[in-house]
Amino acid sequence: MHSSDNRGSWEFHPEDTLTEDTGNFPSTLAQVNFSGQKKAGSAVDVPGLAYRNEDIMSESWRKHRKHVFVLSEAGKPIYSRYGNEEALSSAMGVMMALVSFVQAGGNMIQSIFSDEHTVVFLQKGPLVFVSVSATRQSEQQLRSELLHVYHQIVSMLTQASINRIFERRKNFDLRRLLFGSEKVLDGLLDVMDSDPSFFLSAVQCLPLPSSSRDALSHILQKAITPDLVFSFLISNNRLVSVVQEKTVLEDARLKPSDLHLLFNLIRVSAFQAGEIWTPICLPLFNPDCYFYAYVAYLDPPECTVCLVLLSTDKEAFYAVAECKRKIEEAFASQNALQWVANTQLYYVNDIGVANLKHFLYKPSKVLDHYRQMPQFTCPEMEVGYRSQQERIRLLDLYRNMYNRIHCSSRPLKLIYHSAGKETLLAWVTSKFEMFACFTPLVTKKSAISELTKLLRWLKKEEDRLFICQLPRYSTALHPGRSSTDRPNTSDTGLFSLL
Amino acid sequence: MLMISPRMASGMQEKQYTPSLLSFFIYNPKFGPREGEEEKKILFYHPIEIEKNEKIRNVGLCEAIVQFTRTFCPTKPAKSLHTQKNRQFFHEPEENYWMVMVVRNPMVEKPNKDGKPPTVEYQEEEIIDSVYGSVLQQCYCMYKLFNGTFSRAFEAGGVELLTQKLEKFFYRYLQTLHLQSCDLLDVFGGISFFPLDKMTYLKIQSFVNRVEESLSLVKYTAFLYNDQLIWSGLEQDDMRTLYKYLTTSLFPRHTEPELAGKDSPLRPEVAGNLLHYGRFLTGPANLKDPDAKFRFPRIFVNTEDSYEELHLIVYKAMSAAVCFMVNAAVDLNREFCEQLDSLVGPQLTLLASDICEQFNINRRISGPEKEPQFKFIYFNQMNLAEKSTIHMRKTSSVSLTSVHPDLMKILGDINCDFARVDEDEEIIVKAMTDYWVVGKKSDQRELYVILNQKNANLIEVNEEVKRLCATQFNNIFFLD
Repeated sequence: MHSSDNRGSWEFHPEDTLTEDTGNFPSTLAQVNFSGQKKAGSAVDVPGLAYRNEDIMSESWRKHRKHVFVLSEAGKPIYSRYGNEEALSSAMGVMMALVSFVQAGGNMIQSIFSDEHTVVFLQKGPLVFVSVSATRQSEQQLRSELLHVYHQIVSMLTQASINRIFERRKNFDLRRLLFGSEKVLDGLLDVMDSDPSFFLSAVQCLPLPSSSRDALSHILQKAITPDLVFSFLISNNRLVSVVQEKTVLEDARLKPSDLHLLFNLIRVSAFQAGEIWTPICLPLFNPDCYFYAYVAYLDPPECTVCLVLLSTDKEAFYAVAECKRKIEEAFASQNALQWVANTQLYYVNDIGVANLKHFLYKPSKVLDHYRQMPQFTCPEMEVGYRSQQERIRLLDLYRNMYNRIHCSSRPLKLIYHSAGKETLLAWVTSKFEMFACFTPLVTKKSAISELTKLLRWLKKEEDRLFICQLPRYSTALHPGRSSTDRPNTSDTGLFSLL
Repeated sequence: MLMISPRMASGMQEKQYTPSLLSFFIYNPKFGPREGEEEKKILFYHPIEIEKNEKIRNVGLCEAIVQFTRTFCPTKPAKSLHTQKNRQFFHEPEENYWMVMVVRNPMVEKPNKDGKPPTVEYQEEEIIDSVYGSVLQQCYCMYKLFNGTFSRAFEAGGVELLTQKLEKFFYRYLQTLHLQSCDLLDVFGGISFFPLDKMTYLKIQSFVNRVEESLSLVKYTAFLYNDQLIWSGLEQDDMRTLYKYLTTSLFPRHTEPELAGKDSPLRPEVAGNLLHYGRFLTGPANLKDPDAKFRFPRIFVNTEDSYEELHLIVYKAMSAAVCFMVNAAVDLNREFCEQLDSLVGPQLTLLASDICEQFNINRRISGPEKEPQFKFIYFNQMNLAEKSTIHMRKTSSVSLTSVHPDLMKILGDINCDFARVDEDEEIIVKAMTDYWVVGKKSDQRELYVILNQKNANLIEVNEEVKRLCATQFNNIFFLD
């Protein structure tokens, strides 16, 4: 056991402990010397720790795996992942100067590469995003991560109001509106590294027999009220069921990116009992207006099953809460919570493929029912990848292959990469995308045959692993609206907060 | 450079522009640290027509970027800047001396109707950093080979001498850069070795020893045949730059006079010499003329330690070329050249025809070249040996490849992936055109194979590569 001297100035939460297989302290923490500073060279940061007041002059600040900075066009600091953004205002001034200088030449700055770091720039309206990353991810992926950060900010403020604010006052300090939401952005950045749903642009569902899922959806479909647009059931960051209002969605689709932002918000809110009623904007659905989200756990105190109801009516709290009550009742009478609790997450061993260690499988958009919502499935991590560090390392490898295989100028169909620690395969066909990880000494013959076995298993379990249809309902307010009618904003109740 | 795309729809053409050099400059921030002195930092700037303040601003941007990246890693600052329209490469070959090369991104110009200006689409992904970064480094190496280091020039004659040397060298050298045809081979900067049997190799070795013994002034020797290296006494890094100079600049300038027709103007060079076919490629063009002035180019080697300045004597007979390097302090006069000529000429001529004969015998024995069916590139980091059956001709102007440029870029991507870790790896890729590309890295060797087998699967491709490795590479690479 390590003495308390090693803890230094770090706030430690027991649930953050990342025990590796040996049960010892993770190696990154073991490198902490007595003054509490991290030894140079560790590439993984322990999530959940507060970095707000980290000393920006220190070696440890420089060594972070990924920095993200958000600033306004006027160079005013808005957010920094590590360190106090006020202390970084001159560094942010330099970043803005680089952006402006290149812009003045009729050009646009994109990125800077050095041996150890990649710096990526993104400008969206009046906001500038900069990522300084030691991960060697591709520029495209780092930029799409910055885009997620932008969208998360939009989800809290809406794009229209951000643009309007800065139009009126270029020097506005956006921190005034984002006060207290740093943890939302921190949480997003933490989870992006270790969750494949971001780079796959897909949603992971809870495996459930389709009959159970249909029954759950049916309960949700019955508990509606005017202006209710979406109802979700979420369990442990996986989607259990989603039902949606028919007419609003004639032309628009719910994108995985919006769902990720929603999941993040819920995860970060970390509430246990009770309910939340909060405005939320879904940027890819409609970046300029708010929905109102009712969020409650259906199974306190375990808090694993979360209900989210989205309405367009600010005043609808009681009506929506009533829906929740109806759902709770129906759940209780059918003992529906048991279905979710009994769900079996699967491991690679369950499939009977000896050399396969992990995979990501994403059915293609071509199949009609998946076109509605891109989904993927993956098994629980095997022993070798349970630590945060190994998990991120594996995902980095997947991300690199994803980037190569989807390169816009020279895309590929297949990559087979044998290296020291594992053999990786990436495969894109018209029907699916597959990323698989095998033991390092697997022969090509075994890899192919195990892959074939895996595909067969996935086909067999398709119903259980994916949501195959998205049930719809119609709220009484708009009976018989034809699909050619275009509702104007006042009719559907979609309006801006500001 | 502009290329017209073969896609022509209703008379309107898409124009494809390949990457080209926008600017190239060298600066040292220490030379103009105070405000108002910025111009003093700039030691060389191409194109020269650029207005002074713009030069200063561009240099300032580079300084700012380097400083910014130093915030995160003081020892490893920026190497490249990507913008929508161009890409800038940074290289600090000596402390505080920075070289920057700005390349315009390839782009496609699509015509618009109704007299609207054409839309331009920039293709940033077409430029691979490692390729052009290497080209920039080679610029320095070539400069250094013929001029010594920046710091020595500064020590000897201050900023004036340094800027003079830079101007003189880069003005010409930049014109030889053909950025549209740079690829993986630029990353390797390798040397093509001539395959020889043991006996002939020993003959060459003993020839070199004999000459070095008789002409005690000779410090280093290098022996080439057919634009390929056989033996070198120089340090690897110096030899690779010298090799590039010889094969892309010096040799192409001197075609074989004996291949020229009877009435060709080249003939007089060999006139009257019936004893041998040897002649000087550097130095005296015609030994018979007593009044002709000549001088040998100077090169600088071992700049890290002994820092030697040498005369470069290149002497050729038929397809064999020998480089003799002599201390630059020595004055090489006509007498010395005649002595060298009469000693080396006959021996080298004999040796050259020996090698030729042996080579032909070997070819007959081993049968027609099996390699052409395999398109591959091989590079060994330890001895810089490089072999490519994809590149058909390498001169200073162009490097023709027999595969689609996109495939070469895929090789570049695989090479970048290999560079991430220091382990043995294998990457097999199937491209959209159904070509297979196999990259293997083992020890310090890399092999890239391109297979045009549309209906093959992974296992079949694996078998093909196994066959290639067994015949060509004697199982250096591990395979499953």
